[in-house]
Amino acid sequence: MQQSRARLFKEYKEVQREKVADPDIQLVCDDTNIFKWTALIKGPSETPYEGGVFQLAFAVPEPYPLQPPQVRFLTKIFHPNVHFKTGEICLDILKNAWSPAWTLQSVCRAIIALMAHPEPDSPLNCDSGNLLRSGDVRGFNSMARMYTRLAAMPKKG
Amino acid sequence: MQNQNDLLKDESEIASSISEIKYEEWGNCSTLEDEPSFQEEESAKVPYVGDKEPLSSLAAEYQSGSPILLEKIKILENQYTAIRRTRGDGNCFFRSFMFSYLEHILESQDRAEVDRIKVNVEKCRKTLQNLGYTDFTFEDFFALFLEQLDDILQGSEESISYEELVNRSRDQSVSDYIVMFFRFVTAGEIRTRAEFFEPFITGLSNATVDQFCKSSVEPMGEESDHIHITALSDALGVAIRVMYLDRSSCDNGGVTVNHHDFVPAGTNEKEEASAPFITLLYRPGHYDILYPKSSCKVPDNVGK
Repeated sequence: MQQSRARLFKEYKEVQREKVADPDIQLVCDDTNIFKWTALIKGPSETPYEGGVFQLAFAVPEPYPLQPPQVRFLTKIFHPNVHFKTGEICLDILKNAWSPAWTLQSVCRAIIALMAHPEPDSPLNCDSGNLLRSGDVRGFNSMARMYTRLAAMPKKG
Repeated sequence: MQNQNDLLKDESEIASSISEIKYEEWGNCSTLEDEPSFQEEESAKVPYVGDKEPLSSLAAEYQSGSPILLEKIKILENQYTAIRRTRGDGNCFFRSFMFSYLEHILESQDRAEVDRIKVNVEKCRKTLQNLGYTDFTFEDFFALFLEQLDDILQGSEESISYEELVNRSRDQSVSDYIVMFFRFVTAGEIRTRAEFFEPFITGLSNATVDQFCKSSVEPMGEESDHIHITALSDALGVAIRVMYLDRSSCDNGGVTVNHHDFVPAGTNEKEEASAPFITLLYRPGHYDILYPKSSCKVPDNVGK
């Protein structure tokens, strides 16, 4: 408990310093609970997520950083490796390939990379994965872009 | 190293970890492999680091097992008195190394060795920094290891007993942190000497050096093989002897227990001639600690 708290505090300070360095990620710690974080990440350019801002929720377990944080999308997203209903993310570093060398910040970067490079062969969203696996890139892009517009873009007016 | 590779392939039939399946005979592992949950459950019953047991407990495991193994255990009994088992959770090599090293320092109170390894630990820290690792991701793990070294040397208020060392080795918040410290050190060594390690890595897993470190060194629970051992031994400058207990035998039918000494680069001849103070027992998929009979120990207190 003490160890994870100390580590998270260091990450907190690092995030304050890095804010300018990484304009695509805005990582915020809960005011009252250092084990709860949220992040706003920008959809990578030249992907159907471009222009969208996606919110992630982090729940950090007590044995952190020996164990990975639990991360899910709060913003609806159409992506093969993200569960359409729960926002759960299928990413190796959040499971068995986790190591303390990762940080909450670098996890965000890995998630942005996953948005740009979906892995349709291990889908959590089968509809999305099937579109890509059958080679229907156009269909996938238009679905993903529609959901980006609906859920991840600020409403005008 | 090539030989060890072949050896591993030959022994793939008994390739799952051993300690947690004490009551199974050799060759039954395949049925267990289908039930990883059972295996995990069993392994959780074994403490991270067990008690010192007489070597006869090893023979008892294989009473109705392969005659070659029994014969090899007999040979081991001539040289070793005891075994200390570690949990088969994928961290057994690092955990065995940790306990064996710290126990040696506790017993020998070898301050020169502590000073020596501290220099190497600082080198490892620089290595990780040069590789671009963020300080705070590894510094807690380094600090905890250095703290253990200081606590083990007697004469300060924090000095700890043998019982306390055993307790700490069984306490996840210490034990896993030190295992992770070794994983950082190992990954740093492999990455900085990528050219040296690359052929071994490609031969083993078809991965790049970076992929290998990310998937097989840095995550907890990933098993070690000769690449990890070589890197850790070199980085910390600590020699490691590994005794191989497997079913291989010589062409002429004679039985010997193979061993390999991992001797860190830069070791001088005099040091190389003495046996390493860390001896591990390797059974396919698992490492435990072995205790040599006192006559086989490094004769370091001769003439004192």
